[in-house]
Amino acid sequence: MTISVDPPKVSRDLSKKAGYTFSILSDPNAEVIRRYNLLHVGGGPDGHDIARPAEFLVDSSRMVHWVNFTEDVRVRPRADEMLAAAKGLR
Amino acid sequence: MPDMIEKRWNWAVWLGFLLALGAMLCNVVLLVNLPGQRAIPWLSVLLAVVALILVARGLQGAFGQPRVYRGKFLSSILSLVSLLLAGVAIFTFFHARALPTSGAAPQVGQKVPDFTLTDTTGQPVSLDRLFVPAADDSQGVPPRAVLLIFYRGYW
Repeated sequence: MTISVDPPKVSRDLSKKAGYTFSILSDPNAEVIRRYNLLHVGGGPDGHDIARPAEFLVDSSRMVHWVNFTEDVRVRPRADEMLAAAKGLR
Repeated sequence: MPDMIEKRWNWAVWLGFLLALGAMLCNVVLLVNLPGQRAIPWLSVLLAVVALILVARGLQGAFGQPRVYRGKFLSSILSLVSLLLAGVAIFTFFHARALPTSGAAPQVGQKVPDFTLTDTTGQPVSLDRLFVPAADDSQGVPPRAVLLIFYRGYW
C-alpha cells in the first residue's frame, strides 16, 4: 500500500484513473511520515512538508526485510525488484 | 584568395547541441523505469557538461575564426538552445537529488512503527490489523508481508 500527504479524494481520483487495486493511505499532516523519519521539509511544490520516497517490505511483526531509499526522485524501484524482494521472504 | 577557401562545418556546436538534447532526453527515459536506471541521471549531467564545453568551443570557432568556420548566426542560435537544455538538465539533476538523508528511517532488521491512516474510501487502515485474520474469514488469509510505499504526493 502507498502513503502520501495527498487527501483521500485526490488519491481516489488517481486510483480510479490508473486502475490501482492497492490501498492508498492519506497522511495529510505527515504524522506517520514524520514518525518514520521520512519527512522532506518544504519538499512539496508549494513548500509543504511531504515524504521523501521510500519503500519498506515488512512482515507481520513489522520487521523490515527489504528497504529502498532513492537518492534521486526520478529513480524509483521497479515492480520486478519489489516482487523479487517479496519472493525472497519465503 | 580567401574567398576561394571553403569554410569548415562547425561540428562542435552541432555535437554540443545533440548532446544537450540527449541530456534532456534522459529525463524522458527515466519515466520508462528501465533496469539500471540509477546511472541515467549521471549520464544526463555528463552529457550536459560535455555539451556546454563543445558549444563553447564551437562559438570560439565561429566568432574567433570566422574565416575558417561558417554559421555565425546558426551557431549562436544552436548555442543558446543548447545552453538552455543543458542548464535545465543540470538544474534538474541537483533538484531531483535534494532529498533528506534516510539514516534515521527504519532499516533492514528494525521494526517500523504501527499506524492508522484513512484510505480512499475514508476507512481507517491499521498496519498491525492487516496481519490479524478476520473472525468471520471475510477478508481471506492475512498477508505474510506488506509493502509500504511512501511517495511525494501532489498527484
